[in-house]
Parts: sequence; C-alpha cells; structure tokens
Amino acid sequence: MLRKQNRLAAAMLAPATVLIGVFILVPMLLTIWLSFQNWSTQTGFETARFVGVQNFVDIFSNSSIGRDFKTALVNTAIYTVLSVVLILPLSVVLGLLVHQKLAPGGVFLRTVLFSTYMVPMIAVALVFSKLYSPTEGPINQILGWFFIPPQPWLSSPKTALVSVVLLNVWQQVGYFTVLAVAGLTQIPDSLYEAARIDGARAIERFWAITLPLLGNTLLFSAVIAIINSVQVFEPVALITQGGPIDSTNVLTYHIRRVGIERAQGGLGSAMAVTLMLALIVTIVAVFAFARSREART
Amino acid sequence: MSATANRSDRRLLERSRYRLTPGTALLTSLIILVAIVAAFPLLWMVLSSLKTPQETMTVPPVWLPATPSLDAFFKVAGVVSLGSSFINSAIIAVVATVAINVTSLMAGYAFAKYEFRFREPLFALLLATMFLPPIVTLIPLYRMVSYMGLTASLAGVIVPNLANAFGIFLMRQFIKGVPDELIEAARIDGCSEMRVLFQIVAPSVLPAIAALTLFAFVYHWNSYLWPLTVLQGNTDAYPIVISLSRLLSYNRGAMNTGLVMAGATLAVLPPVILFVLLQRFFVDSVVSSGVKG
Repeated sequence: MLRKQNRLAAAMLAPATVLIGVFILVPMLLTIWLSFQNWSTQTGFETARFVGVQNFVDIFSNSSIGRDFKTALVNTAIYTVLSVVLILPLSVVLGLLVHQKLAPGGVFLRTVLFSTYMVPMIAVALVFSKLYSPTEGPINQILGWFFIPPQPWLSSPKTALVSVVLLNVWQQVGYFTVLAVAGLTQIPDSLYEAARIDGARAIERFWAITLPLLGNTLLFSAVIAIINSVQVFEPVALITQGGPIDSTNVLTYHIRRVGIERAQGGLGSAMAVTLMLALIVTIVAVFAFARSREART
Repeated sequence: MSATANRSDRRLLERSRYRLTPGTALLTSLIILVAIVAAFPLLWMVLSSLKTPQETMTVPPVWLPATPSLDAFFKVAGVVSLGSSFINSAIIAVVATVAINVTSLMAGYAFAKYEFRFREPLFALLLATMFLPPIVTLIPLYRMVSYMGLTASLAGVIVPNLANAFGIFLMRQFIKGVPDELIEAARIDGCSEMRVLFQIVAPSVLPAIAALTLFAFVYHWNSYLWPLTVLQGNTDAYPIVISLSRLLSYNRGAMNTGLVMAGATLAVLPPVILFVLLQRFFVDSVVSSGVKG
C-alpha cells in the first residue's frame, strides 16, 4: 500500500517539484557556485573560473565596486526598516477601522485599501512620479494648504528614498491590513468583555489585550514586509535609476545592473548571496526578538 | 465612567446596529477620509487621463478636467503598440495561471492526502522557495533560459513560472478539509487518481481555485523584473507593464502626462476588475495563509 502511494505521490508531485527544482532551486545553487567564480553572464557556465572569495572581497572593498554595493546594501536596509516601521502600525490602525462594528464602512474600506495592492507597481510608480512633481504635483499643493513648504521628493538625495518608501507603503498596506483583520478576528470577545467589566478603558484594552494577542500576526507581517522590501525594483528602475547621487540605489536594482546589464555574473552572484545571507540573519533575529518578548510577558 | 453605564451603551448600540453618537460620526468620517487618501492616487490617474495636455501642465495643478475627453486613450495606442502588449500580457497571465492551478492542485492533493516518504521535508523545502526573493536566482536563470533557446520570447517569460510554492501551500490547506470518505467512494467506483482529483476534489475546493486564479493572474499581469530581463528588447513580446514604462520616456519634456495616465489606467483595469469579482476568495486565502501558516 505504502509503495503504491509512493508511486502515485511521485506522479502527482512531479510537475510542480521538477519545475520548482529546475527554475528555483537549481538557479539558487548556481548563484552560490557563481559567487566564487569569475564569470561573464554573456557566456556559458563552462567559462566560469574559480576565484575563491575574491568576489566577496571586491564587493566589500573600498573600490568603486565595493562603494556602490555597500551603498545599495545600506539603502536597502534603511528602506526595509522604514517600510516595516510604517506598515506594521498602520496595518493595525487600519485593521481596527475595518474590523470595528460601531460605524459602517469597514468592508468598503477594506476593498479600497486592498485594491491598491492589485495595481501594477509600474503604474503606481508612473502615477507617483506625477503626484510627487514639485511644481505640477498635487502633493506639494495640498501641503501648501497647511502652510507646509514644498518638498523636492524624488529629486533630492535627502528625500528620494523616503519618497519611494511612501509609495511602497501606499501600495502594500492593504495586504497587511487584511492580515491584521485576520488576527483581530481571532481575539475572543469575552476577553474584551471581561476587561470592560474590570473598568479598563478602550486604550487600556488595546495595550493589554489587542496588541499582545496580535503578536503572531505582526511577526508574520514583519517577515513578509521584510522580504517584499528587498524586492523593490520598479520605482527605482523607472523613475530614479538609483539616483539622485545613488540615494535610491537598492539591491535588486544594483544586482540586476551588475549581473545582467554589465554581465559581471560572478560579482552579481556574490551580491545576491550576500543579500540572501543578510535576509536569513534578519529573519532569524526577528524571530529571536519575538520569542524573547514572549518569554518576558 | 462606570462599567454598567458602558455596558448599557453597548446594548443600545447592538439594538439599532449603528447609532449616531459623536463617536460613531467621528469614526465614519475617519473611514471616509482614509478611503479618500487611499484612493487618491488612482483617482488622480483617471482624472489626469481625461485632461487636455495643457491642463496636465498647469502650475498649480488643476484637479478636475474642464472638458473631460478620451483623446489620450485613442492617442496612446499609437505611441506604443498597446493592443499587442495587452495580448502578450493576457497570454503570459492566463497560461501561467492555468498551469499554476493544475500543478498546485496535483502537488497539494499529494501533500494533503497521500502518505509517502520524505513528505514533510519535501514540503518544507518547496515552501522555503516562497520566501526567496527572485533577484537571488535571476542571473543564472537568465543564462539557463538562453540555453533552452527561450530568450526574447514569451515562452521564456512563462516557462519558469508554471508552478509556485504558494499555490501548493494553499491547495494543501484546502484539500486537507475534503472528507476522505468522498475520495474513497470515488476510488471504489473505479475512478483513476487524476479523475478523483479533477472531478471530485477540485470542485470542492473552488474557493481556493478562485483565490489562486486571482493571485496568479494579478502577479503575472503585473510582473516586470523577469520579462524585462528575459525579453532583451524584443518589443513585439513586451507585456503591457514594459510598454507602459517606455511611455514615460516619451513623456520627458513633452506634454504627454495624459497619455501616460491613460496607458496606466488601461493597464490597471484587468487586475482590478478581476479583484472586484473575486475579492471574497482572495481575502479568505490571505486570511488562511496568515492564520494557519
């Protein structure tokens, strides 16, 4: 019986497993292998020449290769932290607005928020490049109504990265709101009822019940937000090309530029491996942080 | 505020579902305000597509077109080959979506209902690929696809995307809920496993199929990084998002904002319409991937 099931399982699993193996796992292993090779992306794999850890030395050196990569690494880290720090609290606040039963409009709000997540990032980038326009854009106009001076947004190295973060937050927050609502529906009403009888005010109930019980949801959201953040590509490729003065040069954009456009496959792969390791370390750290908080409370 | 007063408030609220108090009025206004802010970029996009070229250049910007016109929609088709880009995007999204549904149903069924060696480690390995950013595999994948002779073709865009871990995960979650008796009964009637899967199991996980259809279609309609890399300037094979990005270069220094916004409006329509039709299933699947996962 078990033998027959093994055979049947193999047949059912073959298409998906072979496809994922060939198009994700094999290239991932090749990326690791290529990170130790000198290799031009324009040539076959057989031209790769083993260079040890030279690529890693290069991308962390003080040459222009190293400086550019380290800038992209730092930019991606800033971008990721800002995105997570903005998205998580916003998703909880918006989730409460969608979830609450006191006023109408929750489901409507969810539809509006989530529909932005369906919009192609290229269209989002195009629209925001107009919204952010210092003179013809409506954002500076609206700020003007509140006597806030016009901002340079995408055109200044000081504000460009933050502008891309805000664009990303706008596009993604609906998805995380839906996750937050899912977490909120898991919290039993009886807990709130009991707290209410004890005389806890709404804000106290939020800190004592809602936030602690959203822990797992927020952990999952944080991990997804981090993974999504390192993938930012379209707004940078389309609007800023990494500029001004490298201020929006992020890893996905930089790795593609080095590994595909400049055909420096070995260097690009070393950068991709570094990104993968950084991502693993970050996610492990996030889990460790969450567990230590759990242990304390 | 005493607890009893608070509870009687609550009872009153429950009796007439929504009761107009300063609190609910404030809450309702807040919801409307948030919805306007969230929808603003898309409203601006549609409004700009209806403006005259002069109106899109005004400082400070005008919000509403004085005489809304569809000129930009007709003109944009002439600037880039919008029609064939739409067809390319549709081919990429539809083929990938159908294939992902089939491969995910098969693998999800095996993981949910079969006992076999290495089931859990294999599942964990496949699931891990869900968290791998595509840039990590981009460089060797580009070379592998050119070995297969698929560079600069639609096939090159599609073939690496015929299966994905999220789909397998989603299907396994839903197929686990299908009663074993139902499957056994079909087997006793002499159905092959493929017939069991596609005639008995698949119809009972339609919500999951709807969700995966929406997810895969939207993802591949919107996908940019991989098509841009593999198509290598073959404009005939460009999907709509790449044609759209080329519109921006026509826009530099010219009065073409309306054209860009018209193109963006058109590109946004298919995924958003599909979302409005299927959103119930999509929300359910996000919830199940978040809660059960």
